[in-house]
Amino acid sequence: MAPPFPHLHVASAYSMRYGTAFPRALVDRASEHGMDILALTDRDGLYGAVKHVQACADAGIAPVVGVNLALDVPASTPAPGLRPPRPRTGPGAEDRVTVLARAGGWSRLCRLVTAAHAAGERGAPKVTRELLGAWAGPQGGDHGFGAEDGLVVLLGPRSDVGRAIAERRDEHARTLLGLWRAAVPGVVIELVDQYGFRDATTAVRMLGLAESAGVPAVLTNAARYLDPADHQVGDVLDAARQLVPLHPRHLERTTSHAYLKSTKEMWQVAAKVCGADRERVARLLFTTRRLAEACSMDPLRLLALRNDPPDLNLPEIGRDPVPLLRNRVEDGLVRRGLDRSRQARERLRAELDVIERKRLSGYFIAVAGITDMIRGMDIRCAIRGSGAGSLVNYLIGIGEVNPLEHGLLMERFLSEGRVGLPDIDVDVESARRLDCYKAIFERYGEARVACVSMMETYRARSAIRDVAGAMGLPPHEIDAIAKAFPHIRARQITASLADLPELRESRLGEAGLDRVFRLAERLDGLPRHIALHPCGVLVGNSGLRDRTPVERSLLEFPMSQFDKDDVEEAGLLKLDVLGVRMQSAMAYALSEVKRVDDIEVRLDEQTGDDPGVEYVPHDDQETYDMICASRTLGCFQIESPGQRELVAKLEPRRMHDLIVDISLFRPGPVNSDMVTPYLEARHGWRQPYYPHERLREALKETHGVVVFHEQVLKVISVMTGRDLSFAETLRRTLDTPAGRERVRKAFVPLARANGFGDAAVERAWKVLDAFGAFGFCKAHAAAFALPTYQSAWLKRHHAAAFFAGVLTHEPGMYPSRVIIDEARQCGVEILPLDVNGSGKDWRVERLGPRPPLRLRVSPSELGEERRPVRQEFRIGEIGRGYALRVPFSAIKGVSEAEVERMVAGQPYTSLADFWDRARPSRPTIERIVQVGGLDALHGLRPGGPRWRPGELTRRDLIAQVGALERASSIGVRSAAPRSRRYTAAAPRPRAEQPSTQLPLGFGEHLPPGELPEMTETEMVEAELEILGIDVSRHVISFHDELLDALGVVRSKDLLAQRNGAEVLVAGVKVATQTPAVRSGQRVIFTTLDDSTGPIDLTFFESVQGRCAATVFGSWLMLARGVVRRTGARAVSMRAVDCWNLTDLDALWRAEGVEAVRALLDQAPEQSQGVGGRKIEYANGFRLSPYSDLGPAIAAPPRQLWHASPGSSGPTAA
Amino acid sequence: MSRLYGDPIEVWTRDGEPTQFVWRDRLYLVRNVLDHWVVAREWWKTGEGDPGERRFWRVEASPGREVGSYELRYDTAGNGWLLLRAWD
Repeated sequence: MAPPFPHLHVASAYSMRYGTAFPRALVDRASEHGMDILALTDRDGLYGAVKHVQACADAGIAPVVGVNLALDVPASTPAPGLRPPRPRTGPGAEDRVTVLARAGGWSRLCRLVTAAHAAGERGAPKVTRELLGAWAGPQGGDHGFGAEDGLVVLLGPRSDVGRAIAERRDEHARTLLGLWRAAVPGVVIELVDQYGFRDATTAVRMLGLAESAGVPAVLTNAARYLDPADHQVGDVLDAARQLVPLHPRHLERTTSHAYLKSTKEMWQVAAKVCGADRERVARLLFTTRRLAEACSMDPLRLLALRNDPPDLNLPEIGRDPVPLLRNRVEDGLVRRGLDRSRQARERLRAELDVIERKRLSGYFIAVAGITDMIRGMDIRCAIRGSGAGSLVNYLIGIGEVNPLEHGLLMERFLSEGRVGLPDIDVDVESARRLDCYKAIFERYGEARVACVSMMETYRARSAIRDVAGAMGLPPHEIDAIAKAFPHIRARQITASLADLPELRESRLGEAGLDRVFRLAERLDGLPRHIALHPCGVLVGNSGLRDRTPVERSLLEFPMSQFDKDDVEEAGLLKLDVLGVRMQSAMAYALSEVKRVDDIEVRLDEQTGDDPGVEYVPHDDQETYDMICASRTLGCFQIESPGQRELVAKLEPRRMHDLIVDISLFRPGPVNSDMVTPYLEARHGWRQPYYPHERLREALKETHGVVVFHEQVLKVISVMTGRDLSFAETLRRTLDTPAGRERVRKAFVPLARANGFGDAAVERAWKVLDAFGAFGFCKAHAAAFALPTYQSAWLKRHHAAAFFAGVLTHEPGMYPSRVIIDEARQCGVEILPLDVNGSGKDWRVERLGPRPPLRLRVSPSELGEERRPVRQEFRIGEIGRGYALRVPFSAIKGVSEAEVERMVAGQPYTSLADFWDRARPSRPTIERIVQVGGLDALHGLRPGGPRWRPGELTRRDLIAQVGALERASSIGVRSAAPRSRRYTAAAPRPRAEQPSTQLPLGFGEHLPPGELPEMTETEMVEAELEILGIDVSRHVISFHDELLDALGVVRSKDLLAQRNGAEVLVAGVKVATQTPAVRSGQRVIFTTLDDSTGPIDLTFFESVQGRCAATVFGSWLMLARGVVRRTGARAVSMRAVDCWNLTDLDALWRAEGVEAVRALLDQAPEQSQGVGGRKIEYANGFRLSPYSDLGPAIAAPPRQLWHASPGSSGPTAA
Repeated sequence: MSRLYGDPIEVWTRDGEPTQFVWRDRLYLVRNVLDHWVVAREWWKTGEGDPGERRFWRVEASPGREVGSYELRYDTAGNGWLLLRAWD
């Protein structure tokens, strides 16, 4: 029997918007066909190479890797007029060649791809013959395939040679082939016949050319599908890639034959190409096979981690890193005051042991160098994740969390049994993340570092957009259809149309879009484009680019084509530098405290001696008082409705409580129902339960409830008597049902052998089984708890500055107007935009004299009797005496250059002065006037009577703007008039400012008061539209009359309601979440804001049938709900029904309050709830397939209520 | 010169390849396959389902002693053969 056919030209889904099958599926198919060699030659990159080699290694197939690249052809053709111009789309648009790496050619292939990307435009790499020649390897070699470590170029029907043949320009083809052979040692002619018209003819002629020129010829199928039926998806991708509608002339193919054919089918193709000449067929297949064998590589060359020991790409330190790291930690011991601690020394010895055995010392040195550099740039930097569990990280200053203090284990981070590389993650200020990257690249050079990439894949919305676009639907319809869907996976589209109430109501399922939806589902998960990973940075040595291809990201950073999994598999070490907005927000808050109050706050230091400095101890009870009162809006990690409920119940009083709180608020603990037992035991309502007395030590810190991964390790270790590394190996196996069964088989006998009785073993196993792989790494939680506490401390003690930071950097889940409202409730005043007072970002203004510096004394230092009496926490006091000023950057449509000019020109003396020197665009200055930016300057007082003759009004000013623009455009200016709209004009020196004759008074054309002043409603409407926030009044206050008539309860009064009472509430919808919850329902959590505080509503599936559309679609909402007390000072509500308040308001105005009451009293109609099969986990945890949708915040309306003739609004004078 | 027809015909095949066909009451034996190609249909213009593809065969065939060239077409969706052209 003939040997199996090797496919040498195969595109996977990693050929973006071209391929349709994933590497593993292709390998599996090849394996089913009995093939022993398979190549992957994706377009433009090696994005799928690692996955291909992994799949091949698992399937026992020899991998071949290559790439398919576009040729850079000079724009002008040698004989103009003779050949038709190149089409812009379709197969004729560009020439492509396939390049295969010989067995040892991986490094050259990487370098070639990197060079091709550097030569072409971003995302469109190009090669020339010369470039290929430069990387293809030395002359010589065997069988015309070039050298052993070189590259082989396949010239197929899409290459310049193939195209010349197809055009019957044989002599030209022969010349081109000669040029190729002169440039590249390994040149092969590739024959393809996909049964298209003339495919066979071209292949036969190319075979003839190869034979006469003495060049080897091979057969491929240029495969891009797994099955013939995938060609429809391929057609859609062709259209989407080229941004054209479906039409034969744009498509790459004419047939469905570009699939991974079997050996027999390929033999038929060979016979078709060679005619009946059996000898030619045999020779063609033999050459193909020989090339495949010459290019088969050892998978371990690429899968560095599977070698033993792993073949790592470690950073160069310059000298032996082992003693260097030892010295660094020794210094660290002294610096951290741990040099006398025996515990620390023992722990250190164990950690260094593992690090040195894994030869990772250099990595730690390099990472410490980077974090030092980041801090040196005055950028806030904190460790996150399991790295916080390592003492070495603490000692060499990578992190600020002391693992000994919190009982964190290193094994979660790095252990003997753990395959894979340690992953150190650091959080830096989001606003300066790219500065960090730049500094890293500058220090180490681009040859040694690269960012990690990630694949953006098709999801429901993007898939619908691309398919509908290809099918030629009008753009606005596409937009409406796509936006109707929540952020779900593409494969859920059809099911969601029936399952989700809000989509059922939209009737999209009956709109005749079945084919669009069906095709969109088939795009599910296919890569769309490559993007910069949000945090990964590869840290390697000068050989980095021999191991990974690198291209430019959108921001011009060198970016590896590998994603984070590939990178690890390829033995490349990475550091995650994650931009965290909260860090930026806190940095900004600190700078505002310094500017306004001249106090230096050192967030990361608990105590110190400098009297001019405020330190941040971790036991500040005032901060915990605020957290216990559930006033955590704006704080890191604990501001969501669910967390606010949990902190109120848990009542944290120290850092450890916060660590537990953060760990509990995860699917895992919720799943194992750990929250209730924990809370009961914590508050002393129940005895802690320990499966066995000897587990008390491990479980004591959480009252017998397993909360942390670290505790799982300890439980396993105690029960089995084995070490923690072994326990970590078991724990990692716990995440699948099959894995749990395996662990059980190992765990039970070991525990029995260790002297535990059957019952105790059974009890301990139950705990582990329920815990599964959920739960939380305590090191993660400890790393999170620090910024959580720091943000809460800032809110408690420097509320105004804290909110300024939060508003400027928007770290949280709530829109600005909610933060503003929270600030107001904290006693902070909100000041309107003022051209003389506003800055680029939110600024703090002090209203009174500077407060005295608080002297902080640790309570433990005071005697019992001198301890200050704890005062009742009053939220309205914490920000008193300070105000926040709306910034220029909040104005809709303002450009950065305008903001800079406006700030630079302060102070201004009049509208004309502002217009002349700040040079805002006309829409911008009109918006500034509308929201009162010039009120202070011109003494305007809107509100009250609309007509006030003789007094200047905002509308007068707007009219004045028009006069100013006309004056400056008719040539009064000495310079030529030019467009001032949104252009970043170069700043001119002040002295050159042309003298301009501008009307300084306002009386000449428009007498003051000629136009009416804005009403309060109009003011708020303008503020919402222009700033997105209601500055002068809360929106809900316009509805007070109706709400009072209906007896609506306000947030601040909810606490006084009895548990179980059914009441009406109303407010602005500020957040909607559909997180994963225990019951497997889709639960919608909605937060309303009614100016007195947040109201948290829960919509269960039973009411979603009638409520979902309103919840997702409305902005102002009235809801009926049942009060549920969740803690001493917290309530939440189970919603029963809800209405759009704007509609009710219209009804009220038209028909009176009785009509509204009648509507509210109507019995709710029954309708179907949420469908979809729950995803069920083995331990009974069920998850709705529609959980975790993106936030759905409806935009504020342009008008606060429906205008109807006859109703002029309640505030009309 | 070829002449265009478009007559439905009956065809016998082996391994998907035509071996003989009946056209205008005469039996033609396929001597040689000259060319074979496939054209996919524009599926996005049709209603539901896959419209399939059209397989073209250019063959040398003889009803008796004289040999001519003929182009046959098979439509996978309709499962029918046509004789498109003849050079005889």
